Amino acid sequence: MSTLVRVKAWFAEALDSPSTTVKQAATTAGMLAAIVILYLVPGIEITNAGLAGVGVVLIAGVSILAVIATHVPRLDPVVMIIPAIDIVAIGCFRGGTGGAISPFAALLILPVIWLASGDGRRHVLYATVLTAFALFLPFLIGATEPNGVVDIVRGLFVPLVYAGAAGIVNELARQGRRQLNSIQALADDKEVMLQRTVEFAARLQESELNYRAADRLFRGVWAAVTEQSVVGTDVTGLIDAWNPGATKILGPSADDAQDKMYIFDFHLQEELLDRARELHYPPGETVLNPGFSALVESARLGNSETREWTYVRADGSHVPVQLSVTKRIDDDGETVGYLFVALDVTQAREVARLKDEFVGLISHELRTPLSSILGYLELLRDDEDAPLAPEQLQYLGVAERNAHRLLRLVGDLLFTAQVESGNFPLDSREVELESIIGASLDTARPAASAAGVEVRQELPAEPALVHGDPTRLGQAIDNLMSNAIKFTPRGGAVTIALELTETSAVVSVRDTGMGIPEAEMDKLFSRFFRATTATRNAVPGVGLGLTITKAIITAHRGQMDVTSEEGVGTKFSVTLPRIRVAARV
Amino acid sequence: MTHTVVIAEDDPDIRGLVAIAAAKAGLDVLDVVSDGRAALNSIRLYKPDLAILDISMPELTGIEVCRAVRADESIGDVRIVLLSASVEAEAIEQGLGAGADHFFPKPFSTRALVEWLAVGKEVRP
Repeated sequence: MSTLVRVKAWFAEALDSPSTTVKQAATTAGMLAAIVILYLVPGIEITNAGLAGVGVVLIAGVSILAVIATHVPRLDPVVMIIPAIDIVAIGCFRGGTGGAISPFAALLILPVIWLASGDGRRHVLYATVLTAFALFLPFLIGATEPNGVVDIVRGLFVPLVYAGAAGIVNELARQGRRQLNSIQALADDKEVMLQRTVEFAARLQESELNYRAADRLFRGVWAAVTEQSVVGTDVTGLIDAWNPGATKILGPSADDAQDKMYIFDFHLQEELLDRARELHYPPGETVLNPGFSALVESARLGNSETREWTYVRADGSHVPVQLSVTKRIDDDGETVGYLFVALDVTQAREVARLKDEFVGLISHELRTPLSSILGYLELLRDDEDAPLAPEQLQYLGVAERNAHRLLRLVGDLLFTAQVESGNFPLDSREVELESIIGASLDTARPAASAAGVEVRQELPAEPALVHGDPTRLGQAIDNLMSNAIKFTPRGGAVTIALELTETSAVVSVRDTGMGIPEAEMDKLFSRFFRATTATRNAVPGVGLGLTITKAIITAHRGQMDVTSEEGVGTKFSVTLPRIRVAARV
Repeated sequence: MTHTVVIAEDDPDIRGLVAIAAAKAGLDVLDVVSDGRAALNSIRLYKPDLAILDISMPELTGIEVCRAVRADESIGDVRIVLLSASVEAEAIEQGLGAGADHFFPKPFSTRALVEWLAVGKEVRP
């Protein structure tokens, strides 16, 4: 910055918001001028050197004070003491240079104006009182005698005139300050508003970026879903969203479908009407298509429903789909439409059908030779004309036992396949668990005694009724019992227990066997899984028993639990919902 | 009086087994065939007292033969026993619904078949 510019800046600052030094400068300069005049102009005399000296010294003092105050903001509250002292000092100087006839009384106007410009009307009073005091000073300290009533009047009249001037200055200063304040307030407001606008703009920009990112993501996902049909409708079923998957599965393009077609145009009408009847929608009693009402029934009530439906393509061909329906809501939570997400299950159904067919075929093909083997073995055994020797009968027994084992395996495989395809027939009725447990105990005893394992039972006195298929439940408990016996070393024990609670019956089978390693517990129910303790100890089996058992129990809305400790034993529990006798009556 | 039987089964070994069981039960085996159409023709021709039919056979299934026999009034009373490797309750119901008198799931015990035939041949519907 050049010196010129710096000087200009200083000057502008000094004039625009005058510092204490600048304000005092006028009085100091006036005093210096007065001293110069006093020396140069003959006829103006010092009448009281002491008083004039006090005045000059006071002015010099407060001038220094003013310079200090300029640089020490802490002194701001008491800065008005400077013009006050100025007034007194000028009073002294006037008194020392002729009193009433001193030409320097006019200097008083400088500090008076400063003092009067102070914030508050009291400064007018201070200025007036101090002026009066300054004018009366020579009389008060006895330096001069008042020159009759004229001096008295002057001592009162001049301050009153000054008071008037001070009042005007004070008022102007006040107005100026007020204006300044309101301008400042406006400027502050403007600043705050500007700040807010900037912040708001930043937020707006950020949310716009977020929105654009979300929009891009949504569009990407929407276009990427080509294997599921995703269709949005309003509450009447009129289509307003149609994804590429819908075009692929159903035919029409988004432009052909949106705002022109209804979702129920793509459904098999008989299916919709059947469902409507199931849900008791009398045809014609609703403003909506009754089939559509049936279609969105669950979604309308706030649930997400997935069920199989048949879609009808634009060319009239049918597509089996698994359809999930959910409702669309607005900001207020009002339903504004529905979303239909459908998966083409043609292939899945075909695969399931082929699998069922395959399993059926395999099962039949395996069972037929086994039937021959077992049948002819039985003929051998029953041949009265040529009875077999004991040793031959024993060999025959081994062959028969193994043929039966193979047969059981075929049955288990077929059953597992049925369970997997969900095609799992249950012949349910009310059954007493005690009789099933009793039958299982009868079945298990020969194997247990052959293996040297003791079988114990803990049954309650109360009968336990459950709803179920006695054959399947028997199969499940047989499996658990035969497992327990297989895995328990000679001299051990297997206990079957039945415990009852208010709502459930718990059948547990516990053994003192080799246990299941903890790491393998979660794989226990998977098909063909065999615990390492089983393979290590050469316990026969293929790993279907528990899979089947669990499937049976699950189909009975029951639960299977297992606890085991390696080397100590295992406990399997089956919890079934219990029919309470009281509830039945 | 000797009771007569026609046996239809596509698997030759099981066919033989059933024939032996029938003979053991004291039945006169009139014909042994390996498909459904031959079975129906044979039953129409011989009008036996009993027919033992496998369910899954070529040409006509045992159930279809059973229905045709029951629908044909010229044949008269024939006691029909069905054999099947399928143990589905559905298949059993279907067979009995088509007019069969008894159902043996495979593998069946020859002893049980012989016993049933020995008793069943005497009972007239």
